[in-house]
Amino acid sequence: MVFSVAIGTAMAASLIALSMDVSSKVSNELRAFGANILVEPKIEGLADITGQKRYLRQDDIVKSKVIFWRHNILGVAPFLESEATSVFGGKKEHVKLLGIWYSKKLPLPGETETFEAGVKSVSPWWNVNGAWPDSNSRNVAVGVSFASRSGVKKGDSLKLDGADFVVSGIVDTGGAEDDQVLMDIDTLQEFKGLRGKVSKVLVSALTTPMDEFAYKDQTTMSKAEYEKWYCTGYVTSIAKQLEEVFHNSRVKPIWQVAATEGKVLEKLSFLMYLLCFISLSASALGVSTTMIMSLLRRVDEIGLMKAVGADSAKIIAIFLSEGVVIGIAGGFAGYLLSIGAAKFIGIKVFNTAFEHRAVLFPVALGSALFISLSGMVLPIKRALRIKSAVVLKGSE
Amino acid sequence: MAFIKLDSASKIYETAQALRGVDLEVEQGQWLNIVGPSGSGKSTLLNVIGGLDSLSSGNVVIDGAEITGLSEDAMAVFRRERIGFVFQQAHLIPYLNAVENVMLSQYFHSMSDEDEAIEALKRVGLGHRLTHRPSQLSGGEQQRVCIARALINSPKLLLADEPTGNLDRENTRIILELLKKLHQEEHFTIILVTHDPFVSQWGQRIITMEDGKIKCDEFICYL
Repeated sequence: MVFSVAIGTAMAASLIALSMDVSSKVSNELRAFGANILVEPKIEGLADITGQKRYLRQDDIVKSKVIFWRHNILGVAPFLESEATSVFGGKKEHVKLLGIWYSKKLPLPGETETFEAGVKSVSPWWNVNGAWPDSNSRNVAVGVSFASRSGVKKGDSLKLDGADFVVSGIVDTGGAEDDQVLMDIDTLQEFKGLRGKVSKVLVSALTTPMDEFAYKDQTTMSKAEYEKWYCTGYVTSIAKQLEEVFHNSRVKPIWQVAATEGKVLEKLSFLMYLLCFISLSASALGVSTTMIMSLLRRVDEIGLMKAVGADSAKIIAIFLSEGVVIGIAGGFAGYLLSIGAAKFIGIKVFNTAFEHRAVLFPVALGSALFISLSGMVLPIKRALRIKSAVVLKGSE
Repeated sequence: MAFIKLDSASKIYETAQALRGVDLEVEQGQWLNIVGPSGSGKSTLLNVIGGLDSLSSGNVVIDGAEITGLSEDAMAVFRRERIGFVFQQAHLIPYLNAVENVMLSQYFHSMSDEDEAIEALKRVGLGHRLTHRPSQLSGGEQQRVCIARALINSPKLLLADEPTGNLDRENTRIILELLKKLHQEEHFTIILVTHDPFVSQWGQRIITMEDGKIKCDEFICYL
C-alpha cells in the first residue's frame, strides 16, 4: 500500500515539478521559432507624414540587458536596412542591403561578462553556404534567390554603388533576406554613412503566457495592478521595459509568435495538472482497492472491536491513523522517487535536469496524504457497516 | 427489579423468525445457561441482550437502561461500559500478544493499563504466557485470554456464546472452573449459550430454546 502511495505521489510530485518548470523549458524551446518582440524607431509628427527615415541607436542594444527582465532576454539582433545598385557580369540591379551581426559578443553593462547578439540568437535556422561577412572585411553574403537570379557565386566580386565587395557565402533564410545582399552592420554603417544607427532590433525573450490580466489596458490599471503587470514576464511588460531603454523607440510584441506560445504553454500546463489529478485519483483508487482487500481479511478484527465497544469514531480514527502513517511513509518515498523522475524526464525531453525545489516536499507529503486518506473513504464506509453478530458467529 | 428484562422480544430476519415474543428476567449475579438445538434462537437471544443485534419488536432493559432503539454508537458505548463477550472462536488479534489483546478492550473503554492487563492474565492462569502471540497459545489458553479481555473492564454482565465449543473436555472443565471462580469472586451476571449438556450443568439456571421461544426454564444446583 505504501508502494501504491509512493508511486502515485512520485507521479504527482514529478508532474508538478514539471509543470512548475515546463513553462520556462518549453518557452525556451519555442524561442527556436524566432524573435517575439520587435523594436522600431518611433515615427511621429512630420517624419510620419514625409516618410523620413528614422533609426535606433546601436549603443542602446546592450541596455536590453539592464531591464528588470534582463535574464529573460535570450537573443537580440539589430538590423540596418539600405539600398544599392549592384553590378555583376555587366548586369545592373537595384538591391536591398541588410546589415546584420551573425554572432557578436557585446559587453554586459557594469559587468566583465559578455553576451551574444546577432541573428544566430534570434533566427538560428538562417543558413549560409560559405562564411558570414565579418566587420573587418568588405565581404557580403547574398541571398539564395538573388544568387540564383544574378548568377553570383561564392568567391565572386560584386560591385555595390561602385564599391567592390567579395561574396563570402550564399544565405538561405526562407524569408525576404533570400533576395537581399547581407553584410556586417558595421560595414554597412560605414558604407552608407550611418554610423551607430540601426533600423530595427529583434528580441527573443522568455515570457509568461498571456492571461486575461495581461491584456488589460495599462492606462486603466491601479498602481498595484501596474506594478504586478510590470513585474510579471508578459511579452507586453517586457516590451514596455525595452521601450524605456531604447531611445525614441516603439516596441511591440510579434503577436503571431507570442500568442501561439501563450496558447501552447497554457494547454501544456492544463495537461500537466490534468495528468497530476488523474495520477492522484488512480493512486487513491489503488489504495482504496488494496485497503478494501485488507479490510476483507480484517473483518473479524473489526467485528471484534465493535463488540468490545468501539464506536464509529474509534473505527474511523483507527483507519485514518493507518492512512496517515501510510501517507507519510509513501510521501517520503514518493518525494525521493519524484526527484529522480523529474530529473530523468527533464534530461530525456529537454536535455537539462529540472531544478530541485524544496516546495515539492510538502507537495509530495500533501499528495500522499490526499491519496491515502481519500483511499480510506470507501473502506471506512464498509467497515462501519460490519455487523459484529454476523462476522463473529453468524446469525441463527 | 430484574437486572435483565425482555418483554415480547421478537426478531424476524428476511427468511426466518429467530425469536417469537420471548419474555425473560435475569437477576443480578445469576449464571444463566441457554441451551437448544441449532436454529432455536439462542445465539440471537444472546446477541439481542448484548446489543449486537436489534429487536424487530418488544424491548430489552439491562441494569435499568432501555437499550431497544439505541443507535449503533450508543450501543457500542453501552457494551464497553457494562458487557464482556466471549465467543466460540477466540477472535484474538493475531499480530498482538496476549497482554496487548487484553489492553485492546481497555483502549476502547478508557485508558490502556499494562499492569492491569498483566494482572488480569495472571488471574486466568496465563502469567507465564504474557508476550505470546495467539498462534503460540493453545485453544484453551486463547479462550482464557478472551475471558481476561472480557472481564478487564469489570463488566456487570458476561455474555459467552459457546465459549468451550472448540475445546476438549479437559480444557472445557478448566474454562468452566475459571468462570465459576471469577463469578463467585466478582458476582457479575453470566449468560452462556451452549449445546453441550455437560457445560449446561454449570451455572444456576437453564433455559431451553426451541423455535424462537423459551420452552423450558429451570433452576439448578450451582455446581
